[in-house]
Amino acid sequence: MWGTYRTRGLILAVLLPAVLSLKTSGAGPDAAGDYQWNLPKGFPKPYVPADNPMTAAKVELGRYLFYNSRMSANGKASCATCHKQELAFTDGRAVGLGATGELHSRSAMSLVNVAWSATLTWSNPEMKTLEKQALVPMFGDHPVELGLREGDNFLPMLRSDPEYRVLFERAFPGEADPFTIANVTKAIASFERSIVSARSPYDRYHYDRDDNAVSDSAKRGEILFFNQHLHCFRCHGGFNFTDATVSERNPDRQVEFHNTGLYNLPGLLSYPSPNVGIYEYTKSREDIGKFKVPTLRNIALTAPYMHDGSIPTLEGVLNHYAAGGRAIASGPYAGNGRDNPNKDPLIGGFVLSPQDREDLIEFLQSLTDDMTIHDPRFADPWPQKN
Amino acid sequence: MSQHPSFLRFALLAAVPAGLVLAQAPPPQASQSAAAATIAVKGDVSTPLALKAEDLAKMPRETVSVEDQDGTKIEYEGVPLREILKRAGAPLGNQLRGKALASYVLAQAHDGYEVVFALGELDPAFGNEQILVADKRDGKPLFGYQGPFRLVFPHDKAEARSVRMLETLEVVRLLK
Repeated sequence: MWGTYRTRGLILAVLLPAVLSLKTSGAGPDAAGDYQWNLPKGFPKPYVPADNPMTAAKVELGRYLFYNSRMSANGKASCATCHKQELAFTDGRAVGLGATGELHSRSAMSLVNVAWSATLTWSNPEMKTLEKQALVPMFGDHPVELGLREGDNFLPMLRSDPEYRVLFERAFPGEADPFTIANVTKAIASFERSIVSARSPYDRYHYDRDDNAVSDSAKRGEILFFNQHLHCFRCHGGFNFTDATVSERNPDRQVEFHNTGLYNLPGLLSYPSPNVGIYEYTKSREDIGKFKVPTLRNIALTAPYMHDGSIPTLEGVLNHYAAGGRAIASGPYAGNGRDNPNKDPLIGGFVLSPQDREDLIEFLQSLTDDMTIHDPRFADPWPQKN
Repeated sequence: MSQHPSFLRFALLAAVPAGLVLAQAPPPQASQSAAAATIAVKGDVSTPLALKAEDLAKMPRETVSVEDQDGTKIEYEGVPLREILKRAGAPLGNQLRGKALASYVLAQAHDGYEVVFALGELDPAFGNEQILVADKRDGKPLFGYQGPFRLVFPHDKAEARSVRMLETLEVVRLLK
């Protein structure tokens, strides 16, 4: 993403003035906690860890790091490889692909509105901060994502780079040596928290009361979505359309994880390994197949769906829930997910007319926020170097 | 809002003795239409009512502030439920004693969702709950899946009794 080292000298000469004059997104000086969220009504202020208050300078440094392929061992991947802005910070793949070609076992989750996530990743109830989570793709080896290693050239590279020297000094003023892994994760987490989606057509309809913002079909779809027979809102509720939301006022929430009846394999584990849900951490059999509820904001952009990307389309997802689970007739995953003993009782099935389906899809599409996927504050700061 | 009809179905199925074949109920069909523009107040009342928004606009109104599950403050405006039930002739005030205390209200939504609560909960001499029949949220008329009318229980910790798309309030006297 940064091009070859040979071309960097020229590029630096062009871009350094721009970096030195980086604006702070209307947030004023880079004092601790200066960040202006500018959230519309209905969106509570997110919870932010006390040891990493939001500042515009940290957000900006985080953006440069997020899009920097030199954050990977071989220079072939960055955070943005699996979290592309145009796909609401997912990658369009069923499962993630690391810098060395290794496949992840699960689908890359959207980072949109991740500031309100009570837990991170599909199925780790203990992963609660973005700062901690960032270490997994950076240094994890099951699978290798970015493939960094402690003691490699990553921090020296940052320290010797004139652009990063500016960015780090502004983000962490007064620190003798701000070039630390802890500061890298703080900056990336700050950038990720800044990726807010709150201006979809649905928001203009629902919060601004603009009747022309969505179609009549989407309005009917909203009523269906919140209908007690469909139950969609029971898990995908609240302003962020998930039950795994925390905020500054409500920072602690017991997150529920759900088995939606995707599989029912014979034997001890009814879900295919290694995707066994939070059972991986709790080792309680009733937790097999239970995963976090993702936000539905921008869901039309984040196909394929489910933790393993095993349903290609939104229509397929509706079919899955209407059927009360998924029956797989043959192959290694044969089994009737509807009978999974851990299936959430809310997944009981329902009948949808063709019009209902169309309306629900229209409603879900009204959650696509074009401003987020085109917002330059969330974009690659080095597009000309690609 | 918590709504649990399938739990009940589940419990009923579980209660069937092994070996008995039970025809499973067909999957529910949802309604995508908007809720009625009228609230029906009926049951064991002397004066059944059919209230429209313009009727509520002429009645004594209150505003309550509640916090949703995400910590956002919301202001609901409408008519105190006790005022509506008083006009319908439900036993309240000095009539709410003896057998009348075994009375409840069944509130039903457009999609069939139902909750009950006792008359004693809202009477000033007992629970004195400020239950509101709201028609405005943050100053704007309720619409879509929330409106045009909604019950609001400002002191409930959970939102599950704050029935959206409210259509019917039925007073039931268990002992007459």
